[in-house]
Amino acid sequence: MLDLLPHILNGLTLGLLFALIALGFTLIVGVMEVINLAHGSLFALGAYFALSLLGGMWFGDTAFGAWWLSLSIETRYVAALFVGPALAAIAGMALELCLRPTYGKAPLYGLLLTFGAALVIEEIIRLGWGTGEQNLMVPASINGPVLVAGFIYSKYKFFAAGFSIVAIFGVWLFLEKTPYGAIIKAGAHDSEMVRALGYDLSKLRLMVFGFGAALAGLAGIIMVPIWGLRPHVGIDVVIPAFLIIVIGGIGSFWGALVAAIMVGLAVGITGAYAGAWATMSMYILLIIVVGFRSRGLFGRKSALEN
Amino acid sequence: MAQNLITRRGLLGAAAAGSALSVFAGPWKHNRVWAAATDKPIKIGITSDASGQYANSGASDRRGMIMAIDEANERGGVLGRKIEWTHIDTETVPATGSRVAERMITREECGFLVGAVHSGVANAISQVAQKYGVIYLNTNSSSPTEAGQNCHRTKFVWDGNGTNFAKAAVKNAIDTYGKKWMLLTNDYVWGHDTAKATKALLAQYGGEVMEEILIPQGTRDFSSALLRVQQQKPGVVSAAIGGDDQKAFRQQVAQLGMGASPAWINSQQDWPDVYGLPIDNLFGVFGTTWYYKLDLPGVADFVKKYQEKYPDTQMRVPGNVFYNGYMATRELLNAIERAGSANNIAVIKALEGHKMSAADRMQHHDAWIDAGTHQVQQTIYLATANSKYSEQDKDDMFEIVANAAPDAVLDTAAAEACKLESYEETPTFDA
Repeated sequence: MLDLLPHILNGLTLGLLFALIALGFTLIVGVMEVINLAHGSLFALGAYFALSLLGGMWFGDTAFGAWWLSLSIETRYVAALFVGPALAAIAGMALELCLRPTYGKAPLYGLLLTFGAALVIEEIIRLGWGTGEQNLMVPASINGPVLVAGFIYSKYKFFAAGFSIVAIFGVWLFLEKTPYGAIIKAGAHDSEMVRALGYDLSKLRLMVFGFGAALAGLAGIIMVPIWGLRPHVGIDVVIPAFLIIVIGGIGSFWGALVAAIMVGLAVGITGAYAGAWATMSMYILLIIVVGFRSRGLFGRKSALEN
Repeated sequence: MAQNLITRRGLLGAAAAGSALSVFAGPWKHNRVWAAATDKPIKIGITSDASGQYANSGASDRRGMIMAIDEANERGGVLGRKIEWTHIDTETVPATGSRVAERMITREECGFLVGAVHSGVANAISQVAQKYGVIYLNTNSSSPTEAGQNCHRTKFVWDGNGTNFAKAAVKNAIDTYGKKWMLLTNDYVWGHDTAKATKALLAQYGGEVMEEILIPQGTRDFSSALLRVQQQKPGVVSAAIGGDDQKAFRQQVAQLGMGASPAWINSQQDWPDVYGLPIDNLFGVFGTTWYYKLDLPGVADFVKKYQEKYPDTQMRVPGNVFYNGYMATRELLNAIERAGSANNIAVIKALEGHKMSAADRMQHHDAWIDAGTHQVQQTIYLATANSKYSEQDKDDMFEIVANAAPDAVLDTAAAEACKLESYEETPTFDA
């Protein structure tokens, strides 16, 4: 059992990071009823925006650029944590505008459009930032090893897991305690009723897509120092995110969180004792859960089923 | 009622048409026959990855091939014929490799195929190439099976393989760091075969495999495996992890401060996999076939040529993948010249057993193309992170610590496993 403890800890950490990735995804599916296959690309885009901001690439040899680079890495990193997701949100909202003609049509239209968008964003990344592997710098204070119960673990991973908890709690507060959150939740339940009550459904969708994209961008900034940054990093993200929302129940906040932790534990523990099964464990978990409960752990009947 | 009667006139007509066709189609195994003395360009199909796990290596590989082709064209082509090339992305996916090879041969009319980093992709391409008799140069994939059980008469393998690299590193590492080893193995053909070679050498020199962890391709988080390494406390970890996985892996080991202990052996390290990483990510000892700062004649000029041709490339200096792509293509074109023909059997014979001087290949030892396996037997270098690394010269990441002559690292198991098709079994193909 003692042997297992580091792997349980590792699995929990991994699960929290997966939850951060899946939250924006599940929010968009819940409200928009669109499976956003560009979610991974928005994840990558957020990280690339942060990369440019941290390295001052946008400011060139200007006086502002010199001043910017004279700031501490901590300051630039914090700025990137706000600006990267904000820019990803703008990209997400642009995507939502493109999606509008598909509303009310078969779900396949939205699916294909977001798939196309994923390809376009990936190509934009290749053109803008190149095809090579990039390193997203993180402040030294949150980097390096730390000793936990006799094991060396990544200080950054602890930071990332902690950050995920705060971000997840923030999203929960937003959804549960603010009027905007109430409208979003109502929209997820019955969007036509929300419209009938006088709320602008177009604005709601735009806001939700922007918010989901910002969460994807934020997850990107947090995850890529672990995963590495390359144009197709988004593909690595979409699959676990998709599995998590199906396991948790499409559109369910708590479902996504619980499923992410389960997936994290499955991957973490199998990775240590049966490495070849680490990726497969996610799918096995999906088969088991869906086999017993076709709508996922916390799933209710979704409009996708109509 | 419809009638299907064969008339005498119809039968004679069909026989005449059949005879005429057989003259053009050629007898039996000829897939295509072009006029021998033709000014038709020689078309090379570049089968490298532009996406997926080995996209970066694929790009480097391609740059090497194109430089060799451009040089040949500047000299007036080969046998007076211009060299043209076409590239289709093989996506680091074996099934795509097959489709690309089939299309390049049947629709793009490529007479030769060059390129691959992923051994599964290379194997898939080579099966198609053999079916048509088209010569295929596997530039950068290095599973021992490529020149072993999956060898083909039409395939030539240019990189050192997992066994060559393991032979260069294992004995020395046992003596220096101890007999208790753990293996981290990418879960596909190259990883498995490299690990197999390492295990055989460990058994030979008295080493012990404490555990082997299979790492699925595309793994982004290695913390589970690294925690397991900490639990097992091996003296040496032998990692056969490639492509983008390798980058993520190196970053995570460095982040945990595990680069110095245990000792890390990477059977092979491709330049695009580490280029741009911080120097503390370059822990351990690893194998390579070439380095841009080898103190040998011609190397500096070669680097200069690269920089003049690719001034805007992110990789500012050529690496081993570029080198293999360049050398393979150059030697293919030279072989066509020596054969005096673009006929596949003639070119195969010009390549088989061909000796290449150390000076010509910018390595420490003479190399040759093994006639029994079609693998290039060449110098294998062991390298580590440059202890004199400075921020002023960020490209100079490696320090070459040893070089092994081809004889010393010969993969004898590949030679036993390889059963080349006979010339007669290989379809004739005139490019």
